Amino acid sequence: MILKERVVENRIMGHPAQGLYKMVLSGQIAQTAIPGQFIHLQVADSNDPLLRRPLSIAGIDKVKEEVTIYYKVIGKGTELLTRIRENEHVSVLGPLGTGFTIPEQGELLLVAGGIGVFPLLSLIQVIDNEKVRVKLLWGGENKQFMESAGLIDIEKMGVDMEMSTLDGSLGTQGLVTALLESYLDGGRITELKDKGNLKVATCGPKGMLKAVTNICLSHKVPVEVSLEERMACGVGACLGCVCSVKDSEGNLKRKRVCKEGPVLDGKEVVWDE
Amino acid sequence: MSKVNLKTELAVLKLRNPIITSSGTYGFGEEYAPYCPPSLLGAITVKGITPLPRLGNPVPRLAETPAGLLNSVGLENPGLEEFKKSYLPKLPGLDTEVIVNISGFSIEDYTFLASAFQSDSGIAALEVNISCPNIKHGGMAFGTHPESAQEVIATVRKNTDLPIIAKLSPNVTDIAEMAKAVERGGADIISLINTLLGMSIDIRSQKPVLANKMGGLSGPAVRPIAVRMVYQVYEAVDIPIIGMGGISTWQDAVEFMLAGASAVSIGTANFVNPMAPIDILTGLEEYCQQRGYGSVREIVGLAHQR
Repeated sequence: MILKERVVENRIMGHPAQGLYKMVLSGQIAQTAIPGQFIHLQVADSNDPLLRRPLSIAGIDKVKEEVTIYYKVIGKGTELLTRIRENEHVSVLGPLGTGFTIPEQGELLLVAGGIGVFPLLSLIQVIDNEKVRVKLLWGGENKQFMESAGLIDIEKMGVDMEMSTLDGSLGTQGLVTALLESYLDGGRITELKDKGNLKVATCGPKGMLKAVTNICLSHKVPVEVSLEERMACGVGACLGCVCSVKDSEGNLKRKRVCKEGPVLDGKEVVWDE
Repeated sequence: MSKVNLKTELAVLKLRNPIITSSGTYGFGEEYAPYCPPSLLGAITVKGITPLPRLGNPVPRLAETPAGLLNSVGLENPGLEEFKKSYLPKLPGLDTEVIVNISGFSIEDYTFLASAFQSDSGIAALEVNISCPNIKHGGMAFGTHPESAQEVIATVRKNTDLPIIAKLSPNVTDIAEMAKAVERGGADIISLINTLLGMSIDIRSQKPVLANKMGGLSGPAVRPIAVRMVYQVYEAVDIPIIGMGGISTWQDAVEFMLAGASAVSIGTANFVNPMAPIDILTGLEEYCQQRGYGSVREIVGLAHQR
């Protein structure tokens, strides 16, 4: 069904240079959404841009029946998104795609790159903190992004986090993959790994996802990756957004990022075809 | 007001209404079922099938352009054997007429594919994609020369008793010549247009957007070209036409029918509005009703009388 969701909130976050926006939609999506899924939103009633825009779900509130998304203005489509006013209704398909597996015990390590932190937030929301320990590693360009995103104080919300930035303005200077390697080399992790109790979920740019996956697999830690690809239909019909995977017999196959993904098992993804 | 008769006859192919969905935009019919019940459509056309499975092209396969979409999927499909095993048995359950699109890279491919589908296969018609390159003859598309287009259709004619729809490529100088060629080859119906070859270059990376560099353009941007070609083909041949190319609204569908299409096919518009085929059918019916037509077929080709 094509849904008409009401825009509860649509505003810029923090520093204008970041071009970061938050949108809250009220309606049916929240009822069935799970972390890692996306919505396919019509940004304008015109032919340019022609297609809907896939947007990751960052927050799911089943009580208030609201989902939250964050987006960065990068082109005409996202620029038009910013013009949608509160209380307007937007045409949405969703929730779509296959989301993250929700662990029920052990430790969940989240590895985020830049704006890729948002889809992982919805995962933090649904985790039972009494049974699962959550740790977040984030890497990005600079401190301004985290300030704008309102995540600079995320530790106060009970999330254990380590950060890195390219310019060193927040956390350690460097890449999030360095944080991941030193974390996985630690003693406690060996303990968790042996029990098969550590799982990684990651979202960010493709190059980062590839590096994170390789590090995890070399440490024998299972990893789920949230992929991004240019999409048209969003429902698996057009085959525009495929990624390459290897099946158990080593044969190259395609999976649809919009249908079997966006979250896939990192060990099956073929990064360089 | 009396009800408009929507029944559509394309030679021997009989549809409950003139709305079809286009190959490559509708998967195998299941993907859009939750949004648009296939039973309300005249027919659906499934993803193009080749003799062997194809992985298709690398990504990016899509590039958005003003009012248009470039794609270079590269005919990714499960291949004939897997299609017959896993997909074909489910198609009758969709409760609509199913058109299977076949694509080959040699005459032998078309012989093989056509032989695999007959009137007892549970499908309504074969649509023959002649826009693929002929590998054995320098990679020139079958559909860009009248002789090879006619040969492909004649081959399919010899090997199946199903109605044959020849899908024309618009990447030609004279579309009417191509239409006459497939009519001579034995096509029962002509569908047009396939996508127009196009390209998009990212000025930041200074590289083509598509991994395959070039792709097929579809969407509202191509509509005037498609209307013109349908108009020309209507005057050139005696077999019925399925018009397609950027149809997004009922007004677009009316335009194609006035140009000479007996039925219309919806492609890229599904991506934007999965209800587009139903919305178009409703609008088309109202147009006919308001103008006093008892049957939708009465408007076919009317633009040629003016």
